[in-house]
Amino acid sequence: MTAIELSGVTKRFGDVTAVDGLDLTVSEGEVFGFLGPNGAGKSTTINMVLDFVRPTSGEVRVLGRDAQAESVAVRERTGVLPEGFDVYERLTGRQHVAFAAESKGVDLDPDAMLERVGIADAADRKAGGYSKGMRQRLALGMALVGEPDLLILDEPSSGLDPAGAKEMREIVRTEADRGATVFFSSHVLGQVEAICDRVGIMRDGEMVATDTVEGLREAAGGEATLVVSTDGVPADAIKAVRALPGVSTARADGNTVTVACDDDAKTGVISTLEDNGASVSDFETREASLEDLFIAYTENGVESPRRSESTDASDHERDAENESEVEA
Amino acid sequence: MSWGAVARKDFQDAVRSRWIWVLSALFVAMFAGSAALRFVLGSGNASAQQNAGIVVLFVQFMSDGAALLVPLIAIVVGYAAIVGERESGTLKLLLSLPHSRVDVVAGKVLGRSGVMALPVLLGFLIAGVVLLPAANGFALGTFVGFALLTVLLAVVFVGIAVGISAAANTSRQAVVAAVSVFVMSTTLWGPVTGQLAGGIKDLFGLDPAGKIRVQLFLKLLNPVASYKTLVTSLIPGVTPVDARVDLFSFFIFRPPGIGEAFGDSLPLYFSDPFVVVYLLFWLVVPVGVGALLFEQADL
Repeated sequence: MTAIELSGVTKRFGDVTAVDGLDLTVSEGEVFGFLGPNGAGKSTTINMVLDFVRPTSGEVRVLGRDAQAESVAVRERTGVLPEGFDVYERLTGRQHVAFAAESKGVDLDPDAMLERVGIADAADRKAGGYSKGMRQRLALGMALVGEPDLLILDEPSSGLDPAGAKEMREIVRTEADRGATVFFSSHVLGQVEAICDRVGIMRDGEMVATDTVEGLREAAGGEATLVVSTDGVPADAIKAVRALPGVSTARADGNTVTVACDDDAKTGVISTLEDNGASVSDFETREASLEDLFIAYTENGVESPRRSESTDASDHERDAENESEVEA
Repeated sequence: MSWGAVARKDFQDAVRSRWIWVLSALFVAMFAGSAALRFVLGSGNASAQQNAGIVVLFVQFMSDGAALLVPLIAIVVGYAAIVGERESGTLKLLLSLPHSRVDVVAGKVLGRSGVMALPVLLGFLIAGVVLLPAANGFALGTFVGFALLTVLLAVVFVGIAVGISAAANTSRQAVVAAVSVFVMSTTLWGPVTGQLAGGIKDLFGLDPAGKIRVQLFLKLLNPVASYKTLVTSLIPGVTPVDARVDLFSFFIFRPPGIGEAFGDSLPLYFSDPFVVVYLLFWLVVPVGVGALLFEQADL
């Protein structure tokens, strides 16, 4: 069975299209990392899964049910750590967890849950006095109540220090081992690569890639990244480099040009830069990391690597092709 | 159906707020303080009849105050119930749990009604203790009825405020709408009914008695007026006709020809039970409309 299934989902807010014809399938038991820069449409997508907002068109199904018509039934089996939430200032941590248990019709010891998310010592304090990280932990504790079949975590590490983020990852791993499906979003790649079975990368309301982390790494590994130091980069020079065969992306950051390209295209890149008025002072080659690939996929104005040929394909086709293309 | 859990949580949350206790003190001061009038107006050894008169005086005196203060405070208690959670983000935490949006609205109405009912009843209880030596069976009925009607008025205005809160996209919208309802129902609606009834009279060629009936009906559309006339009905010796006609009086001045429009018996639709129904209308409709709009909103 599929845990989350979006088919042709579009969401517009007035003139702004936040999510554009999105297709996405998350299988049961999978840990799915949902990546993209802020504003890419990740939260809107999650909000549609949770029925906080309704799609303009398309269908959202969660745990085999209609996300809108059967939202309560969905949320009975789902634990949610929402984005942009706040806690009830006057209720204690224990009262929050007890309320979650009462709402889900579960009998549990709130203190044990607070222990698990690391805020047991603050159980009797009003949550209004909690730090951002503690609020995040409290909401995670509420989400974990009742051993949900699906965990939806929207930017779970925000507000957490590195140790807290690590604890968060350990909890995700434990929940996945129990058999829960975990769907979580992040704009930081490092948080997802260690624990995700599969990742999806979203940009400008569209899914630009879905693959296993391994698959993305392989796709990235096939290319080299060339970092060129110059005395100044005319816009034409970047355009000319992008037009070269074997070059998938090129971007300028001050006087530094970063190019993702095939190994044998490097010489052409250097000479093209020089020909277009950028005097090269130094250059180095490094192997592409997943981070480079992520940046290439998500930064505006950069063409998707190895995919530029298909940019004129319709959104649906492109989405369907994503996996095979990245693996190619 | 999880509104019970939402209501309990909401009440739990509100009871910890300092202003619920300020409210209680206010109501206690208002009701019990007025009840203390009995020590000024009549001593403990007055006749039973005189004492019953004190209770009646208390009811008349207090219903005007309650008709102003209770709606105001109920609106303050209710207007942010939902839109406030929407703006702060606690609504996301709430709706992450398996509550339907209708359950959230119903739970909020219930929880905030409790928040209002508690101080109102406390105020009445203390007033009752003060008045007890003066009470006979007759006056006690009036007093209890007055307390229950005041709680009903509080619940109705909590419903209006929560309905507005559910429908509003921002706190500012909710404040403007709630204050408008308050000003309309406590001051403006009376004069407006005179104008409206006059217009309807001209339009349909009604006789003066017809105009008064139309105007009374318009007046009863205002929950505050419904509350006042129902409280007046409770006073021993006051007939429902008197209680309705009383809505037309300005302090003790009563315009001529009003009582004559009804004679001795009221039409059924002006009887006490029907007035209660008009009052309940204000509980059901704003909450229903608010829930419907909230159900469709993108949060």
